Amino acid sequence: MNPRKDLITIDSLSDEDIRTILESTSAMKDIFTKSVKKVPALKGKSVLTLFYEPSTRTRSSFEVAANRLSADVTTFTVSTSSVVKGESVHDTIDTLMSMKMDYIIVRHKNSGIPAVIARHCKASVINAGDGAHAHPSQAFLDAFTIKEKYGEVGGKRVVIIGDILHSRVARSTSTILRRLGAEVAYMGPGPLVPQEKHTGIPRFTNWEQVFQWKPDVIYLLRVQNERMDTPFFPRGDYHQAFGITEERLRRIDDLNLSIMHPGPVNRGVEICDAAMDYRNTLINNQVENGIAARMSILYHLTPQTQNND
Amino acid sequence: MTDTYITNATWAQSGLQIDLRMASTPGDELTTLFLDDIPLSGVSAIAPAGQMEIPAGARVINAEGKLLLPALFDLHAKIEIAGCSKRECIYRNGQAAIQGGVWGMLVMPTKGFCFDNASTLDSFADAVTQRSAATMIPAGCITEGMEGAQQTPYNTLAARGVNILSDAEHVTDNLLMLHRAMKYAAELGLTFAIRGDVPALTRNTYMHPGTTSYKLGLHGTPACAEEIGLETIIRLAQDAGAKLHVQTVSTAAGVDIIRRAKQSGIKGLTAEVALHHLLYTHENVGDYDTTFKTLPPLREQADCDALLQGVKDGTIDCIVSDHTPCIPFAKKQDFVTAPQGMVSLDTFLQTIYTMLVLPGKLSWAEVVRACCINPAIIANPYDQEEGTPIAAPLLLFAPDEEFTVTEELMNCGTTNTPLLGKTLRGGITLPLC
Amino acid sequence: MPTINQAEIEQALDAWAKHLLSNTAPRAAGKLAIVGLITHGDVLARRLVQKLEQAGCPAEYGAIDITLYRDDLSLRGIRPALRSSHLPFSTDDMALVLVDDVCNTGRTARAAMEVIFEYGRPARVELQCLVDRGDRQLPIQPDYAAFTLTAPQSTRVQLKLQDIDGEENINY
Repeated sequence: MNPRKDLITIDSLSDEDIRTILESTSAMKDIFTKSVKKVPALKGKSVLTLFYEPSTRTRSSFEVAANRLSADVTTFTVSTSSVVKGESVHDTIDTLMSMKMDYIIVRHKNSGIPAVIARHCKASVINAGDGAHAHPSQAFLDAFTIKEKYGEVGGKRVVIIGDILHSRVARSTSTILRRLGAEVAYMGPGPLVPQEKHTGIPRFTNWEQVFQWKPDVIYLLRVQNERMDTPFFPRGDYHQAFGITEERLRRIDDLNLSIMHPGPVNRGVEICDAAMDYRNTLINNQVENGIAARMSILYHLTPQTQNND
Repeated sequence: MTDTYITNATWAQSGLQIDLRMASTPGDELTTLFLDDIPLSGVSAIAPAGQMEIPAGARVINAEGKLLLPALFDLHAKIEIAGCSKRECIYRNGQAAIQGGVWGMLVMPTKGFCFDNASTLDSFADAVTQRSAATMIPAGCITEGMEGAQQTPYNTLAARGVNILSDAEHVTDNLLMLHRAMKYAAELGLTFAIRGDVPALTRNTYMHPGTTSYKLGLHGTPACAEEIGLETIIRLAQDAGAKLHVQTVSTAAGVDIIRRAKQSGIKGLTAEVALHHLLYTHENVGDYDTTFKTLPPLREQADCDALLQGVKDGTIDCIVSDHTPCIPFAKKQDFVTAPQGMVSLDTFLQTIYTMLVLPGKLSWAEVVRACCINPAIIANPYDQEEGTPIAAPLLLFAPDEEFTVTEELMNCGTTNTPLLGKTLRGGITLPLC
Repeated sequence: MPTINQAEIEQALDAWAKHLLSNTAPRAAGKLAIVGLITHGDVLARRLVQKLEQAGCPAEYGAIDITLYRDDLSLRGIRPALRSSHLPFSTDDMALVLVDDVCNTGRTARAAMEVIFEYGRPARVELQCLVDRGDRQLPIQPDYAAFTLTAPQSTRVQLKLQDIDGEENINY
């Protein structure tokens, strides 16, 4: 893999980059089986988590990953007040530059912010989710989870269900899966699923179409009410119309399909309780693989700060 | 005092080869000559090429191979540059305009040039007289502070030469207020310059919805918002009896709406398109290139084609610059936060020639109509002190000259243009002598 | 350019296995593991284990990737792809033989030692290699080397093995 400073989108990676990061994810996962769950690869390096949006899961996953690579982790708390005060990203970048960080993991509600930071920083910038744009580390853990389950991503069919419009997960995960030879379809409430001519991805609006398409994996997205300034769909019937109900779970079980979800799960909305314990529900695998995938990403990026060490 | 002669110029409107004698004494200007109904400002005699008698010792400019046309008038420019004094903004944009072949412009109100009161207009007029190489006419605000609530003192503004009202990019959803404003201002003969928009449909949207907006995760600005807005303001102005100038149409359906309205016989309706909407599409945004963030957003090739057709068939009266200086800091921000707009005055006519005339998309006659004649009719530039209309000066255009757009060339002081590093054709002589 | 050919390498491996049988195995009390350093060392280790088994001395086989433990990672722009380590047995109380292809600065061996101790507490650890080319930068010496070269520091020693490279020789 050629030296690469940042990870902003899956699109920016070559096929070889994707393969290498996935292969190393497997080696990273082996580390969890040792009595010492830590390697010295990033000893002395500093990692900053810069989250402008609340997130416990992704942030702690990155922090555990960095810790297991022996890096020093700093959490930069961006109070909403400084954003309200109008602190521009450039002011924040100046601050970060003086901190001499090697890796910056950033999440922001605006699409495109991590790219701006990456352009102006010597540190490696990892996009931990920007607006509805991209969430590449999630894409890697999803691809790895499917590869681990089926041995191969190529040829698999994955339907992503829910609020595609606002979802960076849908964009990044569909991109990596298609790059690896899988087929992807979208399903969800009409206003939340972009047109096929814009996405190049088949668009379904009900479960019958999904089952007819014969998917291998059902990938549920979280309904993100907090992102909708004006409601997109009726509040009451999401579960009945688009969620995995107990009846649909029986059908999924019969067909031996897998269920994935990026978390956190809204039980009773996207998914019924019983489906959480279903034998092919890979949600916990995703969490575990998330750490390994993020270790692999951290390891494979090369900050430009190193030249001045 | 010897006269100046221009020989062998090609009249852009018709291709006619002509010789000119420029007026050297004020008395000569009293009788204005016309060619193809276009006033020849500053010209005291005209003859077919080679037939002008030129006295020995006269100053002669050989314009062989060059085009003669009236300078351009831009109906839509902003001149505010963050961090610059007002006088500096006026000076720089005046220089930019002249370099781009533009002799006069309608200046849209901005925060710093908020033309909603007499004193702002007075100090602006003074500063323009002192500092600007180009004529600058203010567009008065429709509402105080462009906030969409309280109408500005239209009588006062009109008395200071305002004949077009606009809240620039701000579109109000308070139609009752706008209707009343139109009824009142119609009595004064004022024209409303408004963009088609439904703010509720375009809030928190950043570009045209399509493949690029999906890839970048940016919310799309629906074309229907512009179209519904257009229908609304056209009906509103018609009912109020006010003249309406539609600003920066960006969609194919928008062109159709205006075409139908004009065909139905609505009077006092004119429309403009921004030059960038004829040249670029949403795909130019690429990977969050904020240079291409505009309002309304850049749309699809089919829209560009329909807009161009609208210019050719007269549905769209004018091509405007929609010149909007943005300092580098502002445009270096992320796409969502960065301001909309690009600058285009510095290279306005050269860009039109290189990207529209040379490829055969527009004829010189169409350019003269859409960039010189129509805008000047709508803006109706008027000398407040003399009480006379101001006619456009003439310019000479050398189509074979070539230059590369550099930062140094951007007189307007900012560089938010996609043309940096590009090569354009055309050398402009303005004023002629 | 001097070359050691495939036959010579095979011969050396036989001698190496003999050394393991007569010197290392007796001290291992039946708990012997041959652990190769990825890449190349693991292939050599597997071939040694086969030879030991043929001689009636079973030994565990393992392979470790020491990349994440290198002390020069941050100096190198390129991050090599990682391979999965493979130690399917408890290393506690085992006699481990670390098999390296070319022993040079001693830094690889140092990293390997760090890896090994994160898996458990072996009874004893030996370092053995196919080629010792000298120029140590750390106080580490192989317990056994099949070939000892005294090439100048600038010389590049290149080992190719049939299973990985499709040919087998040592060039230096």
